[in-house]
Amino acid sequence: MARVNLEGVTKRYGDVTAVDDMNLDIEHGEFITLVGPSGCGKSTTMETIAGLTKPTGGTVTIGDLDVTTLPPKDRGIAMVFQNIALFPHMDVYDNISFGLRLRNYSKEEIDRRVEDAADKVQLVGMLDRMPDEMSGGQRQRVAIARAIVREPDVFLMDEPLANLDAKLRVHMRTVLQRLHKEMDTTIIYVTHDQAEAMTMSDRIAVIDAGELQQIAPPLTCYNEPANLFVAGFIGSPSMNTLAGEVTDTGWVSQNGNIQIDFDPAELGLSPGDRPTMGVRPEDVYTSEKADTVTHPTQSLPATTDVLEPMGDEIFVYLLTDDIGAEKMALSEAEQENQLLMSVSPDSTIEEDQRVDVVLDRSKIHFFDAKSGEAIAHGIEDLAGVESASTAEAEGDD
Amino acid sequence: MFDSFRTVTRQLVGGEDHRTSADSDDEIRTDGGVAESRRRTGSSGGVLKAVRDRFGEDFLESTPFWLPTFLLMSLFVYGSIGWNFLISLTDFEGFAQEPDYSNLDFEMYVQAVTSEAVQTAVVNTFALLVAFTVVCLAFGMVLAILVDRGIRFENTFRTIYLLPMSLSFVVTAQFWLWMYNPTNGIVNMFFGVFGLGPYDFIGNPNLVLAAVIFALVWQFSGYTMVVYLASLRAIPTEHYEAAQVDGASTVKMYWRVIVPQLKNATISASVVLMVFALKAFDFLYSLVGNFRPPNGSDILATKMVREAFQNQNWAYGSAIAVLLFALALAIIGPYLFHQYKHDNL
Amino acid sequence: MSTKTNKSTADRLFEVDYYRVALYGTLVVMLAFFLAPIETGIVTSFKTQTAVAETLPFLPAGGEGFTLSKWNTAIDVLSRGLLNSLAFAVPATLLSGLLGSITAYGLTLVNWRGQVAVLTLFVAGIFIPYQAVLVPLSKFWGVYVQLGKSLGFFWATTGISKDYAALIELTVTHVAYGLPMCTILFRSYYKSMSTEMMEAARLDGATLRKIYQRIVFPLSKPMFAVVFIYQFTQIWNDLLFALILVSSSSSPAAPIVLILSGLGSSMEGTDFALRMAGAFTAAIPTLIVYILFGDKFAKGVAS
Repeated sequence: MARVNLEGVTKRYGDVTAVDDMNLDIEHGEFITLVGPSGCGKSTTMETIAGLTKPTGGTVTIGDLDVTTLPPKDRGIAMVFQNIALFPHMDVYDNISFGLRLRNYSKEEIDRRVEDAADKVQLVGMLDRMPDEMSGGQRQRVAIARAIVREPDVFLMDEPLANLDAKLRVHMRTVLQRLHKEMDTTIIYVTHDQAEAMTMSDRIAVIDAGELQQIAPPLTCYNEPANLFVAGFIGSPSMNTLAGEVTDTGWVSQNGNIQIDFDPAELGLSPGDRPTMGVRPEDVYTSEKADTVTHPTQSLPATTDVLEPMGDEIFVYLLTDDIGAEKMALSEAEQENQLLMSVSPDSTIEEDQRVDVVLDRSKIHFFDAKSGEAIAHGIEDLAGVESASTAEAEGDD
Repeated sequence: MFDSFRTVTRQLVGGEDHRTSADSDDEIRTDGGVAESRRRTGSSGGVLKAVRDRFGEDFLESTPFWLPTFLLMSLFVYGSIGWNFLISLTDFEGFAQEPDYSNLDFEMYVQAVTSEAVQTAVVNTFALLVAFTVVCLAFGMVLAILVDRGIRFENTFRTIYLLPMSLSFVVTAQFWLWMYNPTNGIVNMFFGVFGLGPYDFIGNPNLVLAAVIFALVWQFSGYTMVVYLASLRAIPTEHYEAAQVDGASTVKMYWRVIVPQLKNATISASVVLMVFALKAFDFLYSLVGNFRPPNGSDILATKMVREAFQNQNWAYGSAIAVLLFALALAIIGPYLFHQYKHDNL
Repeated sequence: MSTKTNKSTADRLFEVDYYRVALYGTLVVMLAFFLAPIETGIVTSFKTQTAVAETLPFLPAGGEGFTLSKWNTAIDVLSRGLLNSLAFAVPATLLSGLLGSITAYGLTLVNWRGQVAVLTLFVAGIFIPYQAVLVPLSKFWGVYVQLGKSLGFFWATTGISKDYAALIELTVTHVAYGLPMCTILFRSYYKSMSTEMMEAARLDGATLRKIYQRIVFPLSKPMFAVVFIYQFTQIWNDLLFALILVSSSSSPAAPIVLILSGLGSSMEGTDFALRMAGAFTAAIPTLIVYILFGDKFAKGVAS
């Protein structure tokens, strides 16, 4: 069984630490995605699994075998690259069978495996084409077939869809998911595209600055982000985050216009603390809709600024500061106090309009402003100060 | 050769070419594939393990590819330069088989530096180097801009402009000897049209260097053109269009927008041109078929070869060679260092 | 492609016709400048001694003044050199190209520290003025490694004159000094090759040697053409090593440029017609290569 285990993997290039003390435990048959902004160390992490890079410290285990110092070819892995990396002077058959021929498999065995792989990725009948006669999507399927024929324990995929156009990318996602279902192998997938990560994975590992931020199923990362980075990175558009201060009766935003009532003591906060409040655009409602929300906050005054109709929803930029409607550019502080709201497309909301909004208390997050760590996800069970009761804080740490 | 080398390195690496018997990898190979040996480098000891750690995974395996040629090249290039320097410290001359290395001094350098002939050669070398490079760059840039103007038959023009560069110095020297000849050479006929001349370009010590430079420019401006052309082609069309939209005239557009972007091409072309200029020996030798070039055109390169191979002043020639080498180093060194720093090699 | 876009830019810039006229005028004058020495060389090579003196240098001589005798003489004298030059230029070109490719592979597509230092030494090797190695080089071949003697058995059994040892010396010498250039040309090509492709091959279990044989070498064909053409031209045209390693132009092993450098001068003056005919004979191989593969030559010099 091919469990993949990274223990304290660290990679330094001179003074630069690309990967810092990475611990991952990947189950057999799992589809796991390493996601993060470019330069975050996700590709380096994968390279240490592939053996293309030797870690400065830590161990990599595949199955029961410590492979930290093994060359790539002996690790029972196959890899699909972003730039597809087909051999341009070989036809599809030769490309797919290259690794098998090097290992002196019998002709029949090679033929069987190549046909099988071609069948899996729908390349039947194209085996004698040259790479430059094929479309980008076809070439990427050849690259995947090249990995399949090796019948590896673990598939590594380094942004395999990044060079394809948007439509093809969506199609290839389903190809990969189906493949995963059929083949019962571990797939480790690297991408900077959080949507790709959300849609395909069993779990996603969010990485930033060489460090693992959170590893959890996609919806957990979305609903209960471990810290501010994950909150901002997962989900599009990003979660609203506002700086503010804890008072005796709850939390108030920097400009004093957004107030949320709860007993700070129940979250272990005391007046004067400055946690950051986070709420996703879809959890902000106009006050007419307040009755559809189970745990609404009190009404908060705001002004609409710019609208972005997306077709299936409208994004409304709200200004929570008391500023004139004619203002052209926002100051930095005013931008920080902006709130993005998603409303249904039939809404009659207009630009530069006074509007009262409510937040869904069960979807409000608090983060420590300094460390970024989550303090609470959802405060619907926290009573106001007057009627203090038992609290439930689901803060990850 | 590669195979035997690899076997040797493998044994040196610790001889631990052991297989791991039943492992997950073998499971998937039971269907007809040939399981292969698995080498665990991690557990191998020895000095070469340290080498591997120091220089990287592939260091040992890669040596058969580059080390033999590197040694051959180093022996001939750097070994010779070192040996040449050693010889320059001796008094080696005449028909002696081997220099006497017991008594080393800088006497030859003193002789060379104080010699008027060497001083003249240094001045000539510099004049040739600078004038040739500058004129070649300027002329080549003009040619490149002209050819880049979207002309028809561009390939034909370019091919012919570059043609002289494919010829040997020995061949072009013959051509220019004939071009420059005072009685019925084309150059003198050209001056004759303006009522000037005839001049004995090769025989007149005041003219010969300029004449040689002109011939070399003829031979190598095609090269600068090609370099600049490649650089011009890399400039996005938007730059031309932006300059036009801003209302720049053609001349202004080139001077302000395009030429500044040719800086890198200019630097690399200059370095190569200077190297060509240092090899002008072949041309000067062929003009006369003799170690002594025409009066007034003696450069360090010709002086060195003459002293060593005609007069058999081996040590003296070597000393001049070291001076020439130092001159080349002064030009190339900063360039190479710059390239090295910017990882451009 | 870029020509096309430039053309449209240029079209707009040169809307007035006389710009174009001046442009083409200048280009044609330049053409004349570059071709004049060659043209006058060709017509002169077909002239008798008197015609050389009496006709215009750039016009061909007709009737009495026309002769093929200079070409006959030149070819007679130079054919030996032509063969000698081929005998070392061809193997030296092939060897330095192949070795350069292998070296560049080991220094570019393979991962180890210290490559840049080794490469710097190769690059510096391109720019060395050969004068700095001439004395040791001549002593090396002349005193320490005397192929004429050490390969005595070979000369004796084959009956080939010992003088031809110079051709082997020239081959080795040109390979050694050509390596830096060949290596760097291949390196610039290999740098643009996808490292992911190499990694893919490695994951497939290919050794460094297999990667070179199956992938890098087959993909290097266009660069081999460039390098071979550049190297052949350089080696064929070189006089300095020939002069130092071959005792004199009368040696049976004398390369063509060496014989040419002394051709046509005598006590009575210079026989220009003979010199021109000789110059063209010596230039023919490189001219053929240039005319057939001019674009590749341009590529070689540009990088």
